[in-house]
Amino acid sequence: MSAEEDLADVKRVLAGEAQAFEGIVRRWQGPLVNMAWRYCRDRGRAEEMAQEAFLRAWRGLAGWRRESSFSTWLFALAANVFRSELQRIPVVNVPLEDVAEPAGPARQHDDLVETQAQASVRRAVLALPHLYREPVVLYYFHEMDVAAAARSMGLPEGTVKARLARGRELLRKRFPHLGEMHSALPSSALEPKKEVTQ
Amino acid sequence: MKRNLNSKTDDGAIDAILASEEELIPSSGFLAATMERVREEAATPQPIPFPWLRASPGIVLVAGVLGWCGIELARVGFTKAPEISIAQVHVTANWSALAPAGWVAVALGVSLISWLLSRKLAGGSGLL
Repeated sequence: MSAEEDLADVKRVLAGEAQAFEGIVRRWQGPLVNMAWRYCRDRGRAEEMAQEAFLRAWRGLAGWRRESSFSTWLFALAANVFRSELQRIPVVNVPLEDVAEPAGPARQHDDLVETQAQASVRRAVLALPHLYREPVVLYYFHEMDVAAAARSMGLPEGTVKARLARGRELLRKRFPHLGEMHSALPSSALEPKKEVTQ
Repeated sequence: MKRNLNSKTDDGAIDAILASEEELIPSSGFLAATMERVREEAATPQPIPFPWLRASPGIVLVAGVLGWCGIELARVGFTKAPEISIAQVHVTANWSALAPAGWVAVALGVSLISWLLSRKLAGGSGLL
């Protein structure tokens, strides 16, 4: 993903060539849809939210001051859009206490149980209080980069770190046996299937 | 990103699970649908901004007239107030005291005309 390509496309769009925006959408559709997906865990809604983020980017393209990279600006804008969309229509979710804990080590050989365990933890992120949910979502979306998550949220790194620690603490309390279960799993089970391109 | 996947800590487990998300591929129509909306947006004419420059003479005129009215009313009020007693107000109409009312009416009329004129120049759009 090239910053030069982004800059060239932005210049063309600002010069009145609307079609040049297609290059931006083509390059960033994956990351934005994936980011939206982590916010809501609903594919249809994730695409709608990503589309809305692209539209806002289109409208506000002249507002990118080029002090930060295009991706930083786009992710911050998208995070804003996703946050307000979810405030407008919240994700239907179960309370954190109601998210089932994964089954014990005795059943860990079972692929289904393993998948369910991962799904439970991911669902639990959405059940976190609003304040801690977004830092957790963005931290893992940005491949565990606190600085990038902080830039996307427009918050100081220290604040994001503190909220992230609290969010993880809540998850740890909810899943106290995750460590044992995790150590029994084959390492291939938890390898990323594909890195999120940024 | 290399992580210690055999870590026994819950933190390590949480990290491993949340960092190992499968990538979602946008649906095939996503790009086209997004560009369709962008093209619609591009084709929509921008809202015409209120013509402040053209309306400014009218606004200045209205502000001036209203200011002048205010000053005149205050001046008349101050000079006539000692002459008016409560009894006089409801028993006899002090016509000389009401003489500036004509000027006030004229000022309000001019204000109204200038406001209407500025609205007409602005093409009927604008503040109200």
